[in-house]
Amino acid sequence: MSRLAFSKPSKLKRVGSILPALFIAAIYMLLPTFGLRGFWLDVLTRVNIFLLITLSLDLYSGTTFYLNLGVPFTVGCAAYSLALLNRYLGVPVEYAILPSAAISLVLSLVIFLPSLRVRGAYFSIMSLLLPIVMAGIVTSQPFSLYLGGEGGITYSPLFFSYARGLPVKERAFFLQSTYFYISSIAAIIAFIVSYKVAYSDFGFMMRSVGQDELLAEASGVNTVRVKLVGFLISSSLASFAGSIYAAMRPPVTVDVFIPANTLVPPLTAVILGGMGTIVGPTIANYFILLVYEALWDVIGRWRVVLYMCLLIVLVLLRPQGIVYYLYTKLKRLVSSKIAELTAGV
Amino acid sequence: MVKLLVCDSVTKKFGGIVALDKVSLEVSKGELLGLIGPNGSGKTTLVNVISGVITPDEGRIVFEGKDITRLKPHRRVALGISRIFQGMRVYPYLPVYYNVSLSARSVYKDARLARAKTTWALTITRLLAEAGELPINLTPYKLRMVELARALVTGPKLVLLDEPFAGLSPSEIDEVIEIVKKLNENGLAFIIVEHKLRYLMKLVNRVVVLNEGKKIFEGKPDEAVSNEEVARVYLGVL
Repeated sequence: MSRLAFSKPSKLKRVGSILPALFIAAIYMLLPTFGLRGFWLDVLTRVNIFLLITLSLDLYSGTTFYLNLGVPFTVGCAAYSLALLNRYLGVPVEYAILPSAAISLVLSLVIFLPSLRVRGAYFSIMSLLLPIVMAGIVTSQPFSLYLGGEGGITYSPLFFSYARGLPVKERAFFLQSTYFYISSIAAIIAFIVSYKVAYSDFGFMMRSVGQDELLAEASGVNTVRVKLVGFLISSSLASFAGSIYAAMRPPVTVDVFIPANTLVPPLTAVILGGMGTIVGPTIANYFILLVYEALWDVIGRWRVVLYMCLLIVLVLLRPQGIVYYLYTKLKRLVSSKIAELTAGV
Repeated sequence: MVKLLVCDSVTKKFGGIVALDKVSLEVSKGELLGLIGPNGSGKTTLVNVISGVITPDEGRIVFEGKDITRLKPHRRVALGISRIFQGMRVYPYLPVYYNVSLSARSVYKDARLARAKTTWALTITRLLAEAGELPINLTPYKLRMVELARALVTGPKLVLLDEPFAGLSPSEIDEVIEIVKKLNENGLAFIIVEHKLRYLMKLVNRVVVLNEGKKIFEGKPDEAVSNEEVARVYLGVL
């Protein structure tokens, strides 16, 4: 594994890398004002939300090596909680985002807590079963009567009431650009939080649990607390992703619980990007999801097959990922070029 | 002398095998105790029981007057019991600095104090130059030093060393002995499990000999050498 992946950059280096990142974020946020709209604005919104799921996976599974395949459970519970709060309690979507994320977080904690006692493949299998069981529950009687069955639950999307008075064309752009801004801000906050946590002392404790749990425990690390708090932070991201995804894209259907939809793309991004590096999976998230959309006509519904093939190849040939490795190489190349140029001046 | 650790009739069974059979021992403050015995005699099991990695089936472990028999390993570290494992056990993908500092950060709430303690532990073990290195780039001796630094950084009162000389050259063993002696002069107690008796007997004040989970001897190193049962167990190794 790359040495750089787990060493804390110096203060000066951190400031140096924050400036370009801020510049890229600013340009990205201005895309709608540069004329981006329609299909691709919608795609970017979706990719932003997927980043939260990718980071959720990377922050917990990438550091502790407890591969949490139950992320769709957390995402799905948040989405259904939002829909149910709106339908049965009349809570407007705008106000249901945070409560639904909180409900999903509590549910995930209660359900996952016992499975944190088992390790390795056992934890992964247990976690994978949860969304599959939930998908069965949602579509079976009598629950389907309340949860909408295969068709799901529909409602007015986020800020629809504010846009109602606008002409149809303007309304679509208003909603699309608002969703893009909200999802972008959520993605930026999620990235900063994940990065800060992953490279903090606590983040390194999570890594110590992943690398040798017995050694960590015997060296003074409270491994139960580390796993629990790590899981809480990571699940918060997945819960929030589920809530805002549901708020922007009704109806909520059983699809959110299906691992092929909400687990395979983020998992591919995490492994392609380099587990536990945060930066690598972030870049990989945008890369694979945008490439997939661009190649929709070519690969179409073969997406999952392609992702799975990519995963197998990566796990066999380069389990430490590619994107973070290329990113650090590029960064070093740019730094040396800048140093050469400034030396000449 | 003031008793630091008391193991009272500790028994541990693994299925039908009795790894420890009513073993009792005491360690005083600032003592250097050697724990010896042939393979499978229960030395490492006893170290695991004292450090909390495994819980005994019967008996009590008392540290500074407090019953710690059911206490989790990380809580024992906070109380003042540190250990190094048999074989070189480090976090393979964390630089030396984090291998050591994480233990300090777990025990000390103050980040500055944890940093200062880490620097101290790296200085004592002569690892400052390698602080940014990954363990894969280190020699077995340096890896042993990483383990020792990690054990020392939490400010222990008792350190359990499980085969600290394994895989080291004679000159490296002398350096480890020098560090242990220096720390012991400052009041730190050690329980040392070791097969290289030539070095161990010169270092420790007292030895406990285990065989098939039972304590068969306790006394001064030179008495152990002349003890018939110990000699029989070691088949002339001494």
